[in-house]
Amino acid sequence: MRSLLAADLEIDSTMTLNQVAVGCDVTISMLSGPGCERLRDLGFCEQMRVRKLAGGRNLLCSVCGTRLAISRELAEQVLVSAVG
Amino acid sequence: MPHEAPSTIALVGNPNAGKTTLFNALTGSNQQVGNYSGVTVSLTAGETFTPHGKKLRVLDLPGCYSLRASSPDEQVTIDALEGRIPGHAKPDLVVCVADASNLERHLSLVLQVIERGFPCVLALNMVDAAEKSGLRLDPQKLSEELGIPVVPIQANAGKGIVQLKQALRHPFPNAAEPVWKTPDADPDASRQAFIRDLCALAARRPDVHQQTTSDRLDALLLHPIYGWIIFLGVMFVVFWAIFSFASVPMGWIESLQGLLAGWVENSMAEGDLRSLIVDGVIAGVGGVIIFLPQIILLFLFIGLLESSGYMARAAFLMDGVMARAGLSGKAFLPLFSSYACAIPGVMATRTIGSAKERLVTIFIAPWMSCSARLPVYFLIVPMLLHEQEGSWKQALVLFAIYALGTLTAFLVAKVLRKRLGPDAGSHFMLEMPPYRPPQWSYILRHVTDRSWSFVKNAGTLILGLSILLWALSTYPKHDGDDPSEALAHSAIGRIGAVIEPVVQPLGFDGRTGTAILTSFAAREVFNSSMAILFRVEETDDDVKTRSLIRDRVAAAKRPDGTPLFTPLSLISLLVFYIYALQCLPTSAVVAREAGSWKWAIGQFLFMSGFAYFASLAVYQTGRLLGF
Repeated sequence: MRSLLAADLEIDSTMTLNQVAVGCDVTISMLSGPGCERLRDLGFCEQMRVRKLAGGRNLLCSVCGTRLAISRELAEQVLVSAVG
Repeated sequence: MPHEAPSTIALVGNPNAGKTTLFNALTGSNQQVGNYSGVTVSLTAGETFTPHGKKLRVLDLPGCYSLRASSPDEQVTIDALEGRIPGHAKPDLVVCVADASNLERHLSLVLQVIERGFPCVLALNMVDAAEKSGLRLDPQKLSEELGIPVVPIQANAGKGIVQLKQALRHPFPNAAEPVWKTPDADPDASRQAFIRDLCALAARRPDVHQQTTSDRLDALLLHPIYGWIIFLGVMFVVFWAIFSFASVPMGWIESLQGLLAGWVENSMAEGDLRSLIVDGVIAGVGGVIIFLPQIILLFLFIGLLESSGYMARAAFLMDGVMARAGLSGKAFLPLFSSYACAIPGVMATRTIGSAKERLVTIFIAPWMSCSARLPVYFLIVPMLLHEQEGSWKQALVLFAIYALGTLTAFLVAKVLRKRLGPDAGSHFMLEMPPYRPPQWSYILRHVTDRSWSFVKNAGTLILGLSILLWALSTYPKHDGDDPSEALAHSAIGRIGAVIEPVVQPLGFDGRTGTAILTSFAAREVFNSSMAILFRVEETDDDVKTRSLIRDRVAAAKRPDGTPLFTPLSLISLLVFYIYALQCLPTSAVVAREAGSWKWAIGQFLFMSGFAYFASLAVYQTGRLLGF
């Protein structure tokens, strides 16, 4: 079990999917918010690699070869970290 | 031998996994397949046989991402699995359909089905595309880890179907043990961890992110500037093609109709029966059948857009526009389909997760000018411009008609959406399927089905109303030679006289009012009513019947000698047809989908009232301005 402090630190060092530049590959580190379940069903799961294809009102992401469009509000609930 | 009921198997999978294609391959029936989630909005049943000749019932369920039921079509899937849908038995076996190139995402639903204790077979669909993209699949390993039979298939090419049927033999496999479940861990997390390990083992991806053709196309088609130019171009081409390409086959139908009427006139003695066939049946039904080519083209284009994958992109682009009306991009497909016909449009709203957004979309769908209004527009618009059919000016007026209906619908949606209040937790999310070449066999089937139901409507409802109308305008008979006096003496003439005061303020006379009244069951009846009411004569050459109606109507005068139709009253008539909800089948579907007749009746009263007052406002304001 990780300590709460470690988890908090990790959140500080990560960003939301909205903040990622278009064309970048990232790894999902955490989902938090009311839309979590729907996001997981769509394929936005922890440790999944995502490429952001387009930003704007709705985001376009590629998750394991499938393109998914999600709203900014949902993308705000996806915390990611850079690959590598 | 005791008669045994056939076992039931259910097809379950994420949207776009290819359930319906597999269903068609198994049962041989031709359901419509769209490359867009939500094409299967209610369940369909069919039959198939195992290699040993045992009959199986197959249920095709709507696609869903999980068994949590967050939209109505997902609820249908769960109810069907639990055997809660009347008339359908609880499935004995579930065939999970998963896209082989997307196992990371599709397996989650499979695990949930196994957790619920259903005996399960996994069909790995589209293995060809997955292996082409460099994915290394190991069905054997998948089968061992999941504890269920796994069959690689390629449903659209019919590959692996025999192997799948082998797996559906009796006895069905036992329900597998959900080995990933641990008592104290979050079920979502343990499922995810299991899928991750499994995919690393049995569905290894090449490391580099590959730029597929779909990616490259999306870069252009979803571009903030070029994407919109292409989108508007596509929409323009669709509408333009419908109005220009259709004129050739429409000419053929017209000449055929003229020939038929001429033949009947020459071979029958003059009398009531000949009049019934020529003036009632041929004029009435023919006035509607003529629009078949346009309806075929509209459904063809919608089928093409859906099947190629562009429809989802259009929804993505339109989300920003729809947001202004308080709707999301998901409302785009239902509303766009409503341009063809409000009935499939209203049914397609099931993919909208938010109940309030769904109700609003159902409410405004009939204001997307449907194809049944086209006959009326085509009759009136050329008359308004004093020309024959088929000029770019008419296309422009038609575009304005569509725009007016749509804009008003969006305004009403905005107001209604505000009144219903916000709903939490529902956000736009949509899967963009890969672009695929259109599946012609399915598109053609879809177009044939739709066109046939249109023809059937013309052969039943419209035929019946045409005969009724003919009788009403012929009897009681008047002794005299003047046809207009005979008409005034007939039942319809009397009805017209009664409703004349109601439609007078809109700029119409009693005959037009009667034609409108008859079109409340189905709009396209207006044309046949006008043909019958204005006594358009049949000719034995190929002179166009519609232009005859137009000449007749344009030449018609009021008792005081002024023309019956001025440009203003024609516009008023157009406005009425843009807004009025004159389609019984639509109201029936709305009542079913919205779950109450109150909603359907409210919609009918609102739209008809709106149409009347909009027409009234147009005509009276125009009069005041001196038109």
